[in-house]
Amino acid sequence: MRKIGIFEVAYKNLLRKRTRSLLTVLGIGLAAWVLVSLFGFNKGYESSLNKDIDNLGFQMLIVAKGCPYEAATLMLKGGTGLKYMNEDILSAVASEPEVEGVTAMLMQVVFDPNKGESGGLAAFLGVDPSTFPTLKSALPFKAGAWFTEPLAYEAVFGYEVAELEQREVGDLYLIPEKEVEVRVVGVLERTGTQDDGTVFLPLRTVQRIFEIRDELTAVGIKVAKDADIAAFEEKMYKLPDVQVVSLSQVKTTIMTLVSTARVMVFSIALIAILIAMMGVVNTVLMSVMERRQEIGILKSMGALAGDVFKLVWLETVILCAGGGLLGTGLALLTARVTDVLVRNLLPYSPSGGLVVIDSGLVLMTLGIVTAVGLASGVYPSWKAARMRPLDTIRSEEGS
Amino acid sequence: MTNARRPGFDGVRARRRRAALVLWAVGLAFSAAAVTLWAAVGCDLNDPDRDVKRLFPESTSYKTLYVSIAKKGGAGLLREIEARLGDPFTGLFETADVPYTMYEIYKGADLIGYIHGVNQKGRYGGLQVFLALDTRGVIRGFYYQKLTSRAAKAFRDPAFGAQFVGLSLEDFYRYDVASGKDEPSGPVSRIVNPDPASEDDFRATLRAAKKNLILVDEFLLGNRHLKFFKGWAR
Repeated sequence: MRKIGIFEVAYKNLLRKRTRSLLTVLGIGLAAWVLVSLFGFNKGYESSLNKDIDNLGFQMLIVAKGCPYEAATLMLKGGTGLKYMNEDILSAVASEPEVEGVTAMLMQVVFDPNKGESGGLAAFLGVDPSTFPTLKSALPFKAGAWFTEPLAYEAVFGYEVAELEQREVGDLYLIPEKEVEVRVVGVLERTGTQDDGTVFLPLRTVQRIFEIRDELTAVGIKVAKDADIAAFEEKMYKLPDVQVVSLSQVKTTIMTLVSTARVMVFSIALIAILIAMMGVVNTVLMSVMERRQEIGILKSMGALAGDVFKLVWLETVILCAGGGLLGTGLALLTARVTDVLVRNLLPYSPSGGLVVIDSGLVLMTLGIVTAVGLASGVYPSWKAARMRPLDTIRSEEGS
Repeated sequence: MTNARRPGFDGVRARRRRAALVLWAVGLAFSAAAVTLWAAVGCDLNDPDRDVKRLFPESTSYKTLYVSIAKKGGAGLLREIEARLGDPFTGLFETADVPYTMYEIYKGADLIGYIHGVNQKGRYGGLQVFLALDTRGVIRGFYYQKLTSRAAKAFRDPAFGAQFVGLSLEDFYRYDVASGKDEPSGPVSRIVNPDPASEDDFRATLRAAKKNLILVDEFLLGNRHLKFFKGWAR
């Protein structure tokens, strides 16, 4: 005759009430699903946001006080209000230990009388070919590449401006007002940023065409990863007549908003886990009460209180581990759907994956769910272990 | 005194933070819109209410239609249209999936004409050539909505646009876009280039006008001018 182990006994006990066991596993599974998806969202959102900000090339922009720092703002102001900083600021900023890289920029706007019915503005961004491409290495090219030399009369077009102007690599482009020809050497892929509408030219070429010597409109700063951005920002504010535009502020604000939402959702997950936990306690306790006589017989046959405790506890752990596996499996299967749903619900979502579930997260969730199971099983197991054989057998006879 | 100690500095910081967030959000909203409109760029009137009234002063309403070669006939139709144009659609921005915006113009319940514009590659930039047509497909108005050219002023002169009035696809079918010749010599060859130094942009304009007329004929006029095209057996 085959001797069966305690695990098998526990498993068979659960199978005796299949529907109840299944519903309990389902409850735990749903709680685990929510938990994994939330942890995955937490991880995915922050890493995607960081990646998006890194892809911008620089996290901080220094512009002359009062100068519009975005092409859109400049257009709204009718192309006026550009203010300049001397190029000396570049070396002052670059010497700071927190700085990983700096790049100089010069924006210019001209009126194009042939744009639309009554004319429009065209903006050009002069960038330093030796630093800008390195900092903005994530900018993808649809065709071509960056400028061949620092003084070249060459242009790189953002996707949308290339589409509007029907420009391809090798084509010529005429800078309105100045009537200067430049050759298109690169067309960028669509990025979903203002780069799509930008015409990039070499910095020195813009300075020459627009007759601006040694002056800049902006300096982009890539701050070292381990640097204290807030402290560095304060340091930059001390530079005379400049304003600092930092994406770390934006990131902090977005993360604060997301954290608030996350706390709410975590609270819901916690409630779901507590409900699942109560369900487990209820299921196992009911099972124990229904098996009073059986437990009594087991004990009268020599089973110790520890053996009964172990058996009931194991049943709880099996329920919870099963639920945990089901939940993490569901979370893995539905990660893409969750990603789409969350993306539709949030006012802003970064471009990368929003829900990232890796093996570490799966193991952690399984650990949490199993720990919850172990905790939930203590009371029913203790109750079963304390039963006195004669009392349980007698109570069954009397009933 | 450092910024941190300045009176009201926290308020300034907060405002700056809010402004940065708003800009960021606006940028992202535009990005989202850009992602939604992933397809190739079309050519819409900048201000349809104003432009329709200017081109058809007698109009009372208009209807906007969105069509594309990809939706109507795909690669086969593209080849037909290229054959009628006498020149292949080229480049990243002249593809079958370009959405064309066509305007049907009404006076009361009566259809009185059409307006349609196309993008065309010029020497220095994109051209947007709009035609106002009557219901038979005869040009009654021509204008550039956008033009990048050294001779932009000359091309925009109303006298230049007036040379197109009265022409139809029947006339343009005789004009060979590839060679720039109109054989046998017809009304298109009588259109005078206002700046011989800008021959590229002049020919680009004629190509745009012919392309425009072919698309209107295909999408709105039921190919009523196809009988004048000699090079394609349907």
